[in-house]
Amino acid sequence: MTGRRTGRLAMTNGARMATLLVLFCLLVVAAMSATAIGTVTMPFSRIAAAIFQFDGSRDHLLIMTIRLPRVIAAVLAGGALAVAGAIMQAVTNNPLASPDLVGINAGAAFAVVTVMTLFGEGVGDIYVWFSFVGAAIAALVVYALGSLGSVGHSPLGLVLAGVIVGTFLTSLTTAMLIFDQSTLDAVRLWTAGSVTGRTMAQARTVVPFIVVGLVAALLLGRHLTTLSLGADASRSLGQNPVVWRGASVAIVILLAGGAVALAGPIGFVGLVVPHIVRMCIGVDYRWVIPFAALGGALLVVIADMVGRLVFGSQSFPVGVTIALVGAPFFLHLARTRLKGET
Amino acid sequence: MIRLIVSLTLLLAVLVAASLAFGDVSLTWRELFDALAGTGEPDPQSAMIVFDLRLPRVLLALLVGVALATAGTITLAIMRNPLAEPGVLGINSGAAAAAMAVIVLVQDPPVGLLQAAGFLGAATMALAVYALAWRSGTSSLRIILIGIGLSALATAFTTLLSAFGDIGDVQRAMIWLAGSVYDASMVKVRLLALWLIVPVALALVFARELDLIRFGDLSARSLGQPVDLVRGLMIVLVTVLSGAAVAACGLIGFVGLIAPHMARRLVGGAHARLLPVAALIGACLVVAADLAGRIILPPVQLPAGIVTGLLGAPFFAYLLWIRRHDHR
Repeated sequence: MTGRRTGRLAMTNGARMATLLVLFCLLVVAAMSATAIGTVTMPFSRIAAAIFQFDGSRDHLLIMTIRLPRVIAAVLAGGALAVAGAIMQAVTNNPLASPDLVGINAGAAFAVVTVMTLFGEGVGDIYVWFSFVGAAIAALVVYALGSLGSVGHSPLGLVLAGVIVGTFLTSLTTAMLIFDQSTLDAVRLWTAGSVTGRTMAQARTVVPFIVVGLVAALLLGRHLTTLSLGADASRSLGQNPVVWRGASVAIVILLAGGAVALAGPIGFVGLVVPHIVRMCIGVDYRWVIPFAALGGALLVVIADMVGRLVFGSQSFPVGVTIALVGAPFFLHLARTRLKGET
Repeated sequence: MIRLIVSLTLLLAVLVAASLAFGDVSLTWRELFDALAGTGEPDPQSAMIVFDLRLPRVLLALLVGVALATAGTITLAIMRNPLAEPGVLGINSGAAAAAMAVIVLVQDPPVGLLQAAGFLGAATMALAVYALAWRSGTSSLRIILIGIGLSALATAFTTLLSAFGDIGDVQRAMIWLAGSVYDASMVKVRLLALWLIVPVALALVFARELDLIRFGDLSARSLGQPVDLVRGLMIVLVTVLSGAAVAACGLIGFVGLIAPHMARRLVGGAHARLLPVAALIGACLVVAADLAGRIILPPVQLPAGIVTGLLGAPFFAYLLWIRRHDHR
């Protein structure tokens, strides 16, 4: 069901490596342009100077405190969410799975809304921590519940537990928002998913989690491919699915928890980028993971840039533009690449 | 099986009676019986409360529960995915986008426009998903993926409106989106009941086809089933059922997903049994949620859609947990 048979098989490892390099170069170019383009366009040389020989001038301040943190947040969140989504789809063997299936988004939103309702808006940087902790607790509960139930030996338990916890937390959050207009007003841009106004300090808080998660995901690639064949196949190949499912959920918490803390609950990347990657390069997760990381980062950086340029608003939520940029491409792929398959 | 149906019906009857009796003004069972049967001391006030205020609301909740659970059971069968609920076809996101547009963009919308927009949004999205997924035949994976893509677009539109719309409008839209049966009327109930008869009956008639298609396209086709035709027809049924439910009372999520799973645990996978049991469970869930939403925090009325999440989720978790040694 995960689209095991959807990819094209005839891509050699050399071609994949080359494509990966091209994607990386594209990402670097996109990130540079996103930093350069804006209300004031900067030449690349000034960006390099601001990074390496910071002199405190107005342009350098603009780059280091506004543009660069924003681009870094987009890269981190996009890459982390896409990889987390790929892992979730492999683990649950379900094309509808995404990082928020383990309650990441619901937990983060619940934590942020609770904190805002109780303490008002002026909590600042602490959001990052609250949403990370909320996401992690929700995901742990989902995992515990999923391995307890009668279906705990299969991915179905994890899937159903995720829906249960997610629905419960979302209901609580909605109930709070319906009766508290000022919190709704404060939180609605956050829930749309946005990288506006991120600071270097926030990015620095999240970087360790995401980097550790990414490295672990890359090392896990082979086991993910086995897991994606389903619990029975993986067990008969000598894998202990319970152990690897647990490890995968831990990585998803690091990656998606960090991303949501930084950029808010962006839904589309984690769900769709893994599908796009599998449709293009096949289902070997040793390759899917790096491609998803680069592809997700590229999508979010470009979407944020497009949002700023086309809509002319600095605070346009990137969660909206991602869907506008990514969905047509995804629909095209889904129509053309999936053939004669049940 | 018969015992199960009887006990679920009894549970539903008790819930309906309790919904009629409890509320801001609570009636005793005696008063309720007198009002319903017209016997004893005629009390115009309690009769008015029962017939004009509570009965339409309870019946609407019941019908919506039946519609959502039936639609959910059909979706689960044709998509063969434990996460599939009518929302997979884009029904919820389409209805949400249309309703949000009406509430935020139209000043003083005329009566009924919101309902019409909700239904049209749902139907348009389902049609678009099916049309885009058609490529000399359908496949459930392609429908799911196209559904994800189109839903993302619709949701982006909804998010945009909710991020920049007037805050009062956004709040009203969120209440509608949370799903509530508070503005029920007998006219609405009759309309919905008439509307639901045909699709629910058709679903029961097609129970065997649902059993077949659940085995997979290849098996179903080799057993002589015109798979694309059946799937198309079933998608129409799902759209008609859940589109009507959405138009009547907004987005009550979760019921369409959980009722079929619960029913499957109780009676196994044959749809001739599954459909009626799921429908009864769905009706019980929504009626109970509406009742609880009215009496938990009076005078505040929590929308039924929120209460289904708050009460239904732990209950379903309990079901998962108590049967952990039972590998079905």
